[in-house]
Amino acid sequence: MPISPLSRRAAAAVPLLASAVLLTACGSGGGSGDDDASGRPEGGITFQTWNLRSNFKDYFEGLIGEFEKQNPDVKVKWLDQPADNYAEKLGADAGAGTLPDVVNVSPDLSYPLAKAGTLLNLDREKAAARYKDEYTPEAWQGNTLPGLDGAYAFPWYLNTGPLFYNKALFRQAGLDPEKPPKTYDELFATATALARKSGGKTATLAGTPSIEDFGRYGVRLMNADATKFTYNEPRGVELLGKYKELYGIGGLDTQALTNTADTSGQKFLEQKVAINPGSAHDLDTFKKNAPALYKELGITDAPNNNGKPNMYVMGLAVSKQSRHKAAAVAFAHFVTDRGNQEGFAHKVAVFPSTKGSLDDAYWTKDDGTDEGRVRVASAKILKGAVNYTPVVMSEEMKVILKNEVAKALQGKKSPEQALDDAVAQSDKLLGQG
Amino acid sequence: MTRAPGWEKALRYLLMLVVLGVTVGPFLWQLSTSFKGASEDIYTYPPGFLPEHPTLGNYSGVARVVPVWDYALNSLKVALASVATNLVGASLAGYALARLRFRGRRVAVLAFVVALLVPLESIVIAQFTMMRDLRLNNTLVAVVLPGAVGALNVLLMRNAFANLPFEVEEAAVIDGANVWQRFLRIALPSVRGTLAVVAIFSFMGAWDDFLWPLIVLSDPDRFTLTVGLNYLHGTFQQNPRLVAAGTIIAVAPLVVMFACLQRYFFRGVGEGAVKG
Amino acid sequence: MRPHPAVRRTPAGPSRHVRTHRAISPWLFLLPGLAVVVAFDLYPFLSTVHKAFTDARALAPGDWVGLRNFRDMLDDEQFWVALRNSGLYVLLVVPFTVLLPLLLALLVEKRLPGVTFFRSAFYTPVVASVVVVSLIWGWMLDDRGLVNGILRFFGAGPVAFLGDEWLLLFSAMALTVWKGLGYYMIVYLAALGNVPRELHEAAAVDGAGALRRFTSVTVPAVRSTMVLVGALSSVAAFKVFSEVYLLAGPTGGPAGQDTTLVMLVQRTGTGLGGRVGYASALSLVVFAVALLLMLLVLRADRGESTS
Repeated sequence: MPISPLSRRAAAAVPLLASAVLLTACGSGGGSGDDDASGRPEGGITFQTWNLRSNFKDYFEGLIGEFEKQNPDVKVKWLDQPADNYAEKLGADAGAGTLPDVVNVSPDLSYPLAKAGTLLNLDREKAAARYKDEYTPEAWQGNTLPGLDGAYAFPWYLNTGPLFYNKALFRQAGLDPEKPPKTYDELFATATALARKSGGKTATLAGTPSIEDFGRYGVRLMNADATKFTYNEPRGVELLGKYKELYGIGGLDTQALTNTADTSGQKFLEQKVAINPGSAHDLDTFKKNAPALYKELGITDAPNNNGKPNMYVMGLAVSKQSRHKAAAVAFAHFVTDRGNQEGFAHKVAVFPSTKGSLDDAYWTKDDGTDEGRVRVASAKILKGAVNYTPVVMSEEMKVILKNEVAKALQGKKSPEQALDDAVAQSDKLLGQG
Repeated sequence: MTRAPGWEKALRYLLMLVVLGVTVGPFLWQLSTSFKGASEDIYTYPPGFLPEHPTLGNYSGVARVVPVWDYALNSLKVALASVATNLVGASLAGYALARLRFRGRRVAVLAFVVALLVPLESIVIAQFTMMRDLRLNNTLVAVVLPGAVGALNVLLMRNAFANLPFEVEEAAVIDGANVWQRFLRIALPSVRGTLAVVAIFSFMGAWDDFLWPLIVLSDPDRFTLTVGLNYLHGTFQQNPRLVAAGTIIAVAPLVVMFACLQRYFFRGVGEGAVKG
Repeated sequence: MRPHPAVRRTPAGPSRHVRTHRAISPWLFLLPGLAVVVAFDLYPFLSTVHKAFTDARALAPGDWVGLRNFRDMLDDEQFWVALRNSGLYVLLVVPFTVLLPLLLALLVEKRLPGVTFFRSAFYTPVVASVVVVSLIWGWMLDDRGLVNGILRFFGAGPVAFLGDEWLLLFSAMALTVWKGLGYYMIVYLAALGNVPRELHEAAAVDGAGALRRFTSVTVPAVRSTMVLVGALSSVAAFKVFSEVYLLAGPTGGPAGQDTTLVMLVQRTGTGLGGRVGYASALSLVVFAVALLLMLLVLRADRGESTS
């Protein structure tokens, strides 16, 4: 058995509280970590979701009730965490050995948790691995963590999104509102036209290119074993060069260098930028909060150069410290099985990750509504979609990329130099981890 | 009391109106958004100030999504406990630091100054582990404890006691009153203004705190209001009207409390407790 | 001017025990406060101090690395930017947070009809949610926002307040001063209330002008409070986070040029992959400078009061 970083550090006789934190974490982890997942599901488990209680309380209570009926020896306690600071909450629980038995994670969260040895490797656990074939290979792959030899969460709901555009702004600039850009080249052409014809007043995009943009543009982001970033390859430099031109002629919002996904969305809602990427469920937000925009809303596919759209994956992980692993695995599978995933995806515009689900008529037949149209289009996109954001890319590395990109756009550095610097800084951080 | 001349009064009101315009804008906008009807566009630019179809529906909407009353009760328990412990702890400590001579006083002052400067974010995890070892995690007691006596409040009380003229207490010393009597009967009533400030600050601190209760509480039934209201930022969509109504619900008690307590700021030594 | 203390029963009553152990009583007074502060602030802080010398991650305790984090800091371009910004914040914000709230307190101190309403209204920025406040400030300072509207009326602008690194920093400073108005106002109000009224009245009778009364009566009377506010707001300014974070974005403004020290702590240390060791080292620097600032301000006060 490999020595975990926790016990190695505890052995190093470190004074004071730091070691106390550690010892207790080890104690509770080790003491209960031997429970077998292959036994009969029994005992009390906790199940933690991320901000789903407010809108889906009845759904989850129904789900738990049904599971408890099928497994009379299991008692499920449902916890739900609010939107903000979820990572901090998970970190505190993982460190103190109080992680819930079944926990809602995205791959960027499960990676550090799994690396610290707090999550169950589902590929190595027979009781869990036998369900692998129920999920689409992309979704299972999306929860498989580089360097950690397996998947650490049952795939749950997926999301992807079209590109939304503002027809009114297109019209004002003399562009055909029924001809949105389909590729990156068309996107840049449209943005140039919008900027020129509006005299630099109408910006097309609210943000600078994110790591997903580099991915969709066809840039190789990392080497095969995810130890070095590679987005400074010529194709990445080319993309940044094009953004730089756009920035120069007013194709990007004046606050593009500081906008976040939230503030970008805000600019689109305020009709200050013409195009913004989004998700299927944003439709509802537009309808309710910006009815004027909704009337002029155009929807098109997000451009990508390599036929592989981007997707976001959610999963349910099982804590390695769980005292009732059999029950936890059974419940995590139950929530993510085909029937229950499809049930959830009928409630809100997300997509199931189980095999065959997206062939259902609900996701293939356009029912004539805007929602139906976006749903079918998104479901089509999802086949072959990948999660571009590397799980090893921490928030800090994303900030580094954004700030180096900004320096290139401001002309303080050449695009090439900026990306080289971003890669160098990120690689250094990776090496320390 | 000398009467202010008319022009001075006018000037005061004028200035107050100017400051009013600068200070309450965001609050009013928040209030206005919370009354906006479901069909209203809230992303027009520039933002529309008055609701076209005013409604109270957002407030009941908040209550539908989040058990507001339960959470508010939890918050109230935490905040009141924090006010009580801070008033007692900070005035005792502040009095000792300002009025009593003893060896180690400087070290004690330094301890509070250092505590004031400790970066809270960096110690949250250690605090959480401590609560777990005390088996207090997931309880409201654990929410109160770390802020039970704020270093800032201690320093505020010390400043207030230090500013009292010494003669006030001297007479009592001659009368043979011991230190506890002087503290309770003379010093404490003289600094009611600062006590009110401490009460407000500790109420506000406990009521507004987000990260610590989030970390230490797991069970949604025990959440405090700020943590619970964060549910309004939905995962798939959010309704800014509900968020606005939520913030008003969270802030209203603070404004009411301030309005109630602010009269105590004006009852210092000079006026004593003449008026009931 | 003998006060009439409210008649109150002491819960325990005067006890002989206390009187005979006089040397102990100061520590009894201090006990609750010290206990809380030592147990929940100072003791946990030791783990931060320790982590500053390790390469700890959020979920991995890491190994002892000596001074490496501090050496890395010297090579970290963002650290120097952040140090500059936090330092500027103290220099430019503190004079305003010491003076403006005092003037505001004097303005609303008089009993005038309706003054209660104004006092409460002036307090609302303190309680209003920072997120909402920054949203609205964002709108006001936008290219097409209120401030640029006014500038345009006078034939100037538009000024890209939120696109330029310096204007962004100054806007955040203005927001900080604004948000502190009501907070420090009540500290001053309490201090003014604790001051014997005779002082004010004597000066008024003297017929001293408003400015003279301010400098020769009010300022001396609340001087120690001004020092306290100065010390507290210096520390708060040096540790500024929310205002800059929300106006300039999590990246710290264009190309990170508006990053402050605490933003850097947050950026490097939070999240499950956070570099807790490095962030702790940064925290220690912030702590040390803040302590220095606080002691300097308090020392300056003592020097002045003895002279």
